[in-house]
Amino acid sequence: MKFARLVLKSARRSKRRTALTILSVAIAVFLFASLRAVLDGFSAVAEASSSTRVVTIRSTSMIFNMPTSHADVIRGIPGVQDVTWANWFGGIYKDPKNFFGQFGIDAESYLRMYPEILVSPGEKRAFLEDRTGALVGDGLVRKYGWHVGDRIVIQPGIPYYGTQDYTFTIRGVYRSGASNVDNQTFLFHWKYLDERAGGAGQVGWYVTQLRNPDDAARIAMVIDQKFANSPYETKTDTEKQFSAQFASMLGNLNLLLGSVALAVVITTLFVAGNTMAMSVRERTTEIAVMRTLGYPASTIFLLVVGEGLMVAIVGGAIGAGLARLVINGEYLGMAGGFIPAFGVNNWNVVVGLGLSVLIGILAAMIPATMASRLKIVDALRRVA
Amino acid sequence: MGLVSGYNLRSMLVRKGTAAMTAMGIAMVVAVFVMTLAIAQGFRSTLVASGSTGNAIVLRKSATSETVSAVLKNQLPIIESMAQVARDGDGHPLASPELVVIISLPRISDGRPANVPLRGVGPRAYEVRDTLQIVEGRRFVPGTREINVGRQAVGRFRGLTFGSDVKFGGATWKVVGIFTADDASFESEVWGDVDLMMPAFQRGGYQSVTVKLSDPAAFSSFDVAMGADPRLDLKPQREREYYEGQSETTGTLIRVFATFVTAILSIGAMFGAMNTMYAAVAYRTREIGTLRALGFSRLRIVTAFLAESVALALIGGVIGCILALPVHGLSTGAMNMASFSELAFKFRITPGLLGGGLLFAAIMGGIGGLLPAIRAARIPVARALREI
Repeated sequence: MKFARLVLKSARRSKRRTALTILSVAIAVFLFASLRAVLDGFSAVAEASSSTRVVTIRSTSMIFNMPTSHADVIRGIPGVQDVTWANWFGGIYKDPKNFFGQFGIDAESYLRMYPEILVSPGEKRAFLEDRTGALVGDGLVRKYGWHVGDRIVIQPGIPYYGTQDYTFTIRGVYRSGASNVDNQTFLFHWKYLDERAGGAGQVGWYVTQLRNPDDAARIAMVIDQKFANSPYETKTDTEKQFSAQFASMLGNLNLLLGSVALAVVITTLFVAGNTMAMSVRERTTEIAVMRTLGYPASTIFLLVVGEGLMVAIVGGAIGAGLARLVINGEYLGMAGGFIPAFGVNNWNVVVGLGLSVLIGILAAMIPATMASRLKIVDALRRVA
Repeated sequence: MGLVSGYNLRSMLVRKGTAAMTAMGIAMVVAVFVMTLAIAQGFRSTLVASGSTGNAIVLRKSATSETVSAVLKNQLPIIESMAQVARDGDGHPLASPELVVIISLPRISDGRPANVPLRGVGPRAYEVRDTLQIVEGRRFVPGTREINVGRQAVGRFRGLTFGSDVKFGGATWKVVGIFTADDASFESEVWGDVDLMMPAFQRGGYQSVTVKLSDPAAFSSFDVAMGADPRLDLKPQREREYYEGQSETTGTLIRVFATFVTAILSIGAMFGAMNTMYAAVAYRTREIGTLRALGFSRLRIVTAFLAESVALALIGGVIGCILALPVHGLSTGAMNMASFSELAFKFRITPGLLGGGLLFAAIMGGIGGLLPAIRAARIPVARALREI
């Protein structure tokens, strides 16, 4: 590329201006990659959800409970391998602002059906043996500085669970082995919860493990039919559908984040396009001289586009690289379980770089056309 | 000052293209700023509109929202008999015992199920909430399986149209009326008789009691009287304050997001303004030298160029506000974290929000223009005049 040096030279003509443009492209790509990562976070939850598990809730809404007898009925359906259940506790840890998911689980079957919850055998045993024990995600442990053996007091948030505080002892810390398991959840024994609530045997939702994923739709229907016309009618979906519905409740995220991303790109186009136009205007005389020396208009065009491309790609690399380093789900515990952990991955970086290429080409288009259409005589006569 | 400003403004016109591009960059940032905050604003005012200053909502002590509160059936007559509760012409206390549960209905837009709040209310609820207006049909008759539906809920969820039958809680309910509520969150709700909702959803008591106070100033004595009664483990809140609190979680989340995005985006636009102003200063080196030679002080040069940058940004700000305006009044839905159900609301652009957008633009222009302006003032006069 014999023109590479020429492109480099003109980019370095006004170092400050080039630096500012690079930085604004960097910021745009940073923002874009982060927004993409948030959306990916939501879809990753759905993607990672197992297709051999179906979730059964009350058909009215998931805030209503069902009796434990449903478990035996579900277990008796051919094709069902395993059943577990859990309840939403919705308690308050110190302050209502400290929001995180708290589930009362049927411990043994739950951990058996969710191998994605990674916990050491010793801690698992300690948790199973302690009726008031808790198994907490490593994200929560980091957030609140907890340790194994700590006693955690949680105030019940739902009247059904009474008014007295619940005291749990942390018996184990789990890591999340897949995106569908949030590492900021507080798990404890459903049995303990049920005892405190008066032993009514109420269950929030059932999770059913199927032998064969192809049976999911059929078995989901069989489960719902078993309970049709009972006081506790149910609605069963695959885990994937279930998490997709949950995300859609937050509002139209795709549209919101999508339009913000579009605004980011347009803003950057204005900024970068403006700078390119400025630098071309400054070099009017030079370009005229080059044309006089015999450079064809197309070469001039490519030179300007090359310059825009170079500036944008450098900016894009900085922005995407920074986003990759800074935005990772580990330390961003936003709103607890409502927004899944997200991090900028290599694919987001690639998309970000692709975007910067697009910005570079589009921003340079008008100035490059301007430069290549220059009338030599007029340009030479002009005094800058 | 007048002369220099006039000069700067005219110079801006000379370089129309560059000025326009910079202004457009800032316009986009301001548009995003105004639109995202319009969501937060709309969400908040929809909830705040639900609360009246003349009403009080009674919840269990330490309950943060209706869904986690409980009021026993036998506590209702005690509350109704309190002196601060207003009465209608026949001497009935204006109090509405309520129970909110969530039912799941498919959304019209994408067919996916969403959480719809269902509110069981007492027979005098419409007198307590006097902003409610039936616009089609009539009020439900207490003791029957009839329901009224808020205007926003009718358009968003399947099966809630006037006259249709809806199945939930093991029974079929008939929609006999549609109501509006001055854009308040009630418009996203379904209302029916609380005494029928309780058995339908296996609940043994109410969650809250909303009362109309005989006088808004009677609230403090109402609060004291309730605290003094050992039969009541309840606490009243002014209805408006309660609903303000309800908007906090989701409102804060939207605001944090809006601030994060616009802050980062504004840095990019600021760099753009800086570029433009540096170029402006460089082009006009000779002119600046002349001004200085004529006796304009450094300070005046700085202020003049700052003014140019701020003016450019303000033009962008105005364009941004205009770009954002069409979303005003568009309705959308989002989950209300406090009630765990979907709340329909309208984008709401207030004059204050537009003012904020313009101020934001001016700040971007000011920061972007500061360094170039200082550079302009520092140019040595002799060298500047020598420049071609």
